[in-house]
Amino acid sequence: MRTEALPLRILVVDDEPAIRRFLRTSLGAQGYQVDEAEDGEPALDAIDRNHTDMLILDLGLPQLDGFEVIRRLRGSGSSLPIIVLSSRTDERGKVAALDLGADDYLTKPFGVDELRARVRAALRHRLQQQGERPIFRCGSLSVDLVRRVVSVDGQDVRLSPREYDLLRLLVAHSGKVLTHKFIMQEVWGGETDIQYLRIYIRSLRQKIEADPERPWNILTETGVGYRLRAPD
Amino acid sequence: MVLAALGVALVLKQFLASPNVALVFLTAVLASAVAYGLWPSLFGCLLSVFAYNFFFLMPLYTVTVTDPENVVALFFFVIVAVIVSNLTSRVRSQAIAASERARTTEELYQFSRKLTGAIDLDDLLWATAYQIASMLHLRVILLLPGAGGLAVRTGYPPDDEMDAADIAAAEHCLQKNLATGVGTTDRPDAHWMFLPIRTGRGAVGVVGLSGEDADPQLKPEQRRLLEALSDQAALAIERVNLAADVDRARLTAETDRLRTALLTSISHDLRTPLASILGAATSLRTHPGELDVAEQGEMIRTIQEEAERLNRFIGNLLDMTRLESGAIAPQVTVVDLSELVGSALERCAKILAAHRVEVRLAPSLPMLKLDVVLFEQVLFNLLDNAAKYSPAGSTITVEADCANGWVEFRLLDRGDGIPVSDLERIFDKFYRVHAADRRRAGTGLGLAICRGFVEALGGSIRAGNRSDGNGATFTITLPVPEGATQFVEEVAS
Repeated sequence: MRTEALPLRILVVDDEPAIRRFLRTSLGAQGYQVDEAEDGEPALDAIDRNHTDMLILDLGLPQLDGFEVIRRLRGSGSSLPIIVLSSRTDERGKVAALDLGADDYLTKPFGVDELRARVRAALRHRLQQQGERPIFRCGSLSVDLVRRVVSVDGQDVRLSPREYDLLRLLVAHSGKVLTHKFIMQEVWGGETDIQYLRIYIRSLRQKIEADPERPWNILTETGVGYRLRAPD
Repeated sequence: MVLAALGVALVLKQFLASPNVALVFLTAVLASAVAYGLWPSLFGCLLSVFAYNFFFLMPLYTVTVTDPENVVALFFFVIVAVIVSNLTSRVRSQAIAASERARTTEELYQFSRKLTGAIDLDDLLWATAYQIASMLHLRVILLLPGAGGLAVRTGYPPDDEMDAADIAAAEHCLQKNLATGVGTTDRPDAHWMFLPIRTGRGAVGVVGLSGEDADPQLKPEQRRLLEALSDQAALAIERVNLAADVDRARLTAETDRLRTALLTSISHDLRTPLASILGAATSLRTHPGELDVAEQGEMIRTIQEEAERLNRFIGNLLDMTRLESGAIAPQVTVVDLSELVGSALERCAKILAAHRVEVRLAPSLPMLKLDVVLFEQVLFNLLDNAAKYSPAGSTITVEADCANGWVEFRLLDRGDGIPVSDLERIFDKFYRVHAADRRRAGTGLGLAICRGFVEALGGSIRAGNRSDGNGATFTITLPVPEGATQFVEEVAS
């Protein structure tokens, strides 16, 4: 990454000083420049003023909540990567934030490994928007997007066209959570039942996972969607 | 009646001897005794004698009798007529009394059934007031002792009100267990007559009665009836009161037990990990030089693990609170059970690190309709429980199959199993099989949450022991939604 040349700037928005301190320390240790804000309005001001590369946003802010911040940013055409911070029992809040245009979420409390993975996935996605890398490799899975060949441990795997579309979508957003709604929209054009999605995920797992009962590549984000594990 | 008889007799006179005509009048007397009772029939008797004499005995159309034979006949006619009307009217009044008694008995019986069926005190009092009012044709008011003294609970008609003197009389009635108020010797200035509603254990309430001009003037049989009604009502009131007392006592005991358990649990389960975290953090901060790398690593690991434990505990407390406050609204979608098992295992990976997990799901499992978040939490709690109660290195088995429209999910461990007497109770909040479990167990909430969530999803969960006697089983049964199996087969083909 280009971190040596110019550190990427991450704006952390949370009203809890302890959370901001934790994020500042750990993101700083990873070479990011960290700005902080306590509420939605100052966050939007900071984004206008500075060159912000990413936003880490708590949904429950005192004055202007996270949902409104996302709505305003996306409404003004910004494609700034946004990771929202949410609580365990708030699956609907997560889905709503993702539907509004957030890129990913972290469930409080979270560890630094998770934080690092989410941040990297969200930034990589932005950097890659110009063109997909031709070959995706993670663990034993390899997907050649040019030749449309999928292999596991070097063995070619035959996928149905729909299964391939689904996998290609996951690869294009690897490391990022994709909501059920988004996947159904992209793969089926929206006109489908979640039952189909689950069945295709199950059959895809049976073809590409070493142990389909305990999937390693296609991860379930319970109540939200799916995430394809990205290479470190 | 006698006029009709006279008409008939005048007609019959054409072909019958006049003494026989007397029988026609006798019939009229009998008929009026049956229909109207003693006095009307005696009057009929008198009229008949007069008419018979006037129209049929020589000399005709006079009230004098000349023939001695006719005098005798008339004399016996009078005697027979009087006896007939007497006997008949007595039978009649007995029949009327019997049917009235039968009606009263029937009403009392219906009333007693109504009271037996009443669970709510207000229903019961209303039924009592209505019954007394309708059977005695009086205004009725019912008063029961409450927190603020004796108070009117119901009345028939319902809008009756009482002044202070009435209330005082009623209170006196309750205290002395005697009749007071108008029509009695005790406080006759009140507008009502008050009678205690009593059981063997004393008065449970007071019934107030009032007639047209206050004094109800009860007849002896009305008084008996009132006693019968109020005795029944008293028993029913006592029954309802006792049931309420028992409920209250049980609730208080349960609340106390839960509060104690909750406080113990919270103080223990929140403080233990906090103590470890605080201890490790302060050690790292105060003696950084004295700890070697391994010790530092150990401290850091403690902080992390205990914080995670704390997080699980708080999650459980939140889930339990949501269950208890009825805030659980399942978001049901179509789910793949194998996927849920996979994500639960992923979430439990750290807890299960020392165990082997074997997953045996039937390949043809249909899609289910569940709330994924709730059900994943159920699986997580069961796996967490199995990890706690079975030895490191043992195998935990996850199975599921489908038969007859139900999916059965089973989780089997190789722990000590569950005593038969505890198979139900382990789903109770804060219940632990052994007191010593406190050390290893988390919250005592996990299984209670499992049951609450599974039932909210229309399924059931039960605990058991493995057939070979080594380890416990938890079985969840879930209904297969209509059409699900068909759909899976359709797509697979």
